[in-house]
Amino acid sequence: MNGQTTTKTTNQIILDGLWRDNPIFRQILGICSTLAVTNNVTNTAVMCISLSLVTALSCATVSALKEWTPKTVRMMVQVLIIAFYVIIVDILLRAYWPDMSRSLGPYVGLIITNCIVMGRCEAFAQSNRPWPSFLDGLFSGLGYSVILLVIAAIREVMGMGTLAGYPLPYFSTQWDKWVIMVMPPGAFFVLACLLWVCRSIGIKGKKA
Amino acid sequence: MKESRYFAVVYMFVLTAICSTLLIGLARLTEAKVKSNEQIAFERAALAVFPSVQVQSDAEVHAVFTKDFAAPKVSGDAYEYRPQGQLAGYALPFAGQGFWAPIRGVIGIGTDFKTITGIWFYEQAETPGLGARIVEPFFYEQFAGKQFDEGLRPIRIRAPAEATERDIQAITGATQTCVRLEKLLNDAVTQWRQKKEAAQP
Repeated sequence: MNGQTTTKTTNQIILDGLWRDNPIFRQILGICSTLAVTNNVTNTAVMCISLSLVTALSCATVSALKEWTPKTVRMMVQVLIIAFYVIIVDILLRAYWPDMSRSLGPYVGLIITNCIVMGRCEAFAQSNRPWPSFLDGLFSGLGYSVILLVIAAIREVMGMGTLAGYPLPYFSTQWDKWVIMVMPPGAFFVLACLLWVCRSIGIKGKKA
Repeated sequence: MKESRYFAVVYMFVLTAICSTLLIGLARLTEAKVKSNEQIAFERAALAVFPSVQVQSDAEVHAVFTKDFAAPKVSGDAYEYRPQGQLAGYALPFAGQGFWAPIRGVIGIGTDFKTITGIWFYEQAETPGLGARIVEPFFYEQFAGKQFDEGLRPIRIRAPAEATERDIQAITGATQTCVRLEKLLNDAVTQWRQKKEAAQP
């Protein structure tokens, strides 16, 4: 978030989104959905795909419109564009994947308020061209997705003994299921542990 | 010009108009599909509460539903299940607040107004692994064959240790879901009974 301009290469954008500036463990953005939708891998995956697409398309659109957008209303324009894409995702899910739409409930709509989307629009897309902005949004979304899927996998396996709905050999039978893992506090514990691990690796990487 | 106050207003207005138009268009295009999804989910639930009915595809569900079920004459009443023209039971839709989000479903009641033929939840967002287990067979299959009690609490969901033969065993760790589910089921059944009594003096 330090006002980088068009000098980033594609590889840098990808690496920043996935690791160096990872929205979850570097910027601690989008935590609400991290806690809310990670108790089961299938829901998380759909949420991640939706968020990545919304971020990528919103960033590209914000970037494409930036020459005409007056500075005074740029935040309003960003929210409008984000809401536009989120509602499209919501409508498509409701029409073509009603079961998923029902189980995600209000969380699809809440992508609008996910800080990652607006954060990338404001920090990157506002000062870069559409294609790099699209990539930046997409890979920030994927960076978020990777962490969310790891959290979801840990929570689902330890809390329910299944992975994406399929019972796992040891966990669904002998394993004493940790009920706390499927409850909201479970997400806090797993997220905190992951932050710890990822940041420790990050620090080591910098020293080397 | 770009920094003029009027330009900002006009710009925002035009952009909003374009986005809304596109969204309204998309919503209109998918409206029929969304409606039919909801209808099919409900029809599937209505069929599922009568154990004898076995159907798979959406088209079959719709065909059987339109043939065998008679819509209620008064709103909020149960659907009449009439396979081959004979009244075989009632499918009573219910809805209410669960722990996190609304729970919707259908409960099947026999012609004696007392025996439950089955229950099906087609919308819920309870805690996965706990409250959400109401949609698993071990829980909902308990309802079939149970009899309503008299009074304002026809259905009882109790902790497994306290539950008798007549009760539904609650899910451990899902107390909130079970308490709310019991309440919304009982509200629906009680209201339906009162309507039935009012209709037959």
